[in-house]
Amino acid sequence: MMLKLIKLEWKKNNIAKYIRNVVILAAVLCLFLFALCYLGIADSPDTGIPDAAPGNDMISSSIELFTSMAFLVFTGVMLSGFIVSSYNNKTMNLMFLYPIKRQKVLVSQMLAVWIFNFTALVATKLLIYGCVLLGSQFMVSSFPLDYNMAEPGFYVQLLVRSIVTVTMGFIALFIGMAMKSSKATIVASFLLILLTQANMGDLTFRDNAVIPVILTVVSLVFAFLSVREAETKDLN
Amino acid sequence: MPYILQTSQLTKKIRNKELVSDVDIHISKGEIYGFLGPNGAGKTTVMKMITNLWKPDRGSIEIFGEMLTPHSYEILKRMGSIIELPVFYDHMTGRENLTLHCEYMGYYNVSSVKDALQMLGLDAAADQPVRSYSLGMKERLGIARAVICKPEILILDEPTNGLDPVGMKQIRELLKTLCSEYGITIMISSHILSEIESIADMVGIIDHGRMMREVRMRDIEEINLNYMELAVLDERKAAYVLTEKLGLANFKIIDSGRFRIYDRSVSSGQLSKALALNDVEVVAIGKKTETLEDYFLKMTGEAK
Repeated sequence: MMLKLIKLEWKKNNIAKYIRNVVILAAVLCLFLFALCYLGIADSPDTGIPDAAPGNDMISSSIELFTSMAFLVFTGVMLSGFIVSSYNNKTMNLMFLYPIKRQKVLVSQMLAVWIFNFTALVATKLLIYGCVLLGSQFMVSSFPLDYNMAEPGFYVQLLVRSIVTVTMGFIALFIGMAMKSSKATIVASFLLILLTQANMGDLTFRDNAVIPVILTVVSLVFAFLSVREAETKDLN
Repeated sequence: MPYILQTSQLTKKIRNKELVSDVDIHISKGEIYGFLGPNGAGKTTVMKMITNLWKPDRGSIEIFGEMLTPHSYEILKRMGSIIELPVFYDHMTGRENLTLHCEYMGYYNVSSVKDALQMLGLDAAADQPVRSYSLGMKERLGIARAVICKPEILILDEPTNGLDPVGMKQIRELLKTLCSEYGITIMISSHILSEIESIADMVGIIDHGRMMREVRMRDIEEINLNYMELAVLDERKAAYVLTEKLGLANFKIIDSGRFRIYDRSVSSGQLSKALALNDVEVVAIGKKTETLEDYFLKMTGEAK
């Protein structure tokens, strides 16, 4: 039942358009990161060695940073398209006239976005890690390659980080729903990037095991808050 | 008589302002119920509560013998509705929108989409995206969507908005057919009386959030609409003649010396003869027909 609802969400929200966009996004990210490694676009003209923030001097941190940023925004855009704007253009009224529990409707919409973005993010990361690794067979990278794609631990980390990133989109969704604005959803996802990915002096939110757990829990609380009142709240 | 849809003291407040107050509606199975009221009277508010989009602050709604609660989902399966303007997934075609609707309703009947499109005259546009539809076409597609799953009750909020007179007539005929052939109960709201007087069995009049009256169309036609108006000089004497000599009971004095006689057992000839025989001077006598429009205006006028 839930799977069917998710499929219907994809169908009616024109998922083909999102697939096309996500493919373009993945290709651009891949090209950019490849260029960072092998074409020396980050190299300082004076020294010839790459400019990088402390903690960003390994290639995996750059890959994680840029893919997470891009996909957090993409998730925000999709959540606003699937959910926030359907409140605004009243198609949500239509959904709530169906003999389906409203919480189920909302959860199916959230899952439709989550599954799509999680899959796309994992695929994009694998593509980039793979390309960079492949490049290292022929060229010398400006950044040291600090990962090993033969290790299972690599994949576990990749999956966990992807889960954290995509789930954070629910915070943006909550804000967007509260403000009844698609723009607010997308702006909120930008702000989340600043909050979570930025280096603040020595204090970085990344590379700390506790932070992702807290973030995910907070995101799930916001997801829960978004659907909690659906059964009794009036629609406009 | 058991009602298929009944509300009791239905009240909705938004920011402490009562949009509708103590609305009692009684709709019998198989009838067309015209829900009549000027713009802003609270028609949509009531219909939103009946379709469970809004929850009442007070009062109750009973449909198919069950109380409507925030968790009444199964009831929605047996209901078709248009609330305000119908909305669609604009990038999808009319046909795709209807198919999607059937999927969500859990209704699987291969030919139903085709039949509904045909019934509303949308076959030609069926495979165009809805964003290219005119307002009238969207309205018709909305009706197609409301009836496609063969509901037991239809809740239609001003469904003929945006239609031309020919289109309106088509819809009225369609609704009549749905009611008589499939036994579908229909609640249809309008602020234009002429739109529903020809199809409604029952009319509920709402104004300023209050239910003014529920009347059977037949009764309005019979009782209220035809009367004789009589003007005399001696009011007391005339009243005596009407009651004692002619045995009439159903008349009223509207102002000094002017009578309205609803009783049909007497003709104007008999009346003037009887008055003349008893020395009552008649100033004027005539047959009047009060239109339903007058009746409606009178009802809504009383609220002010």
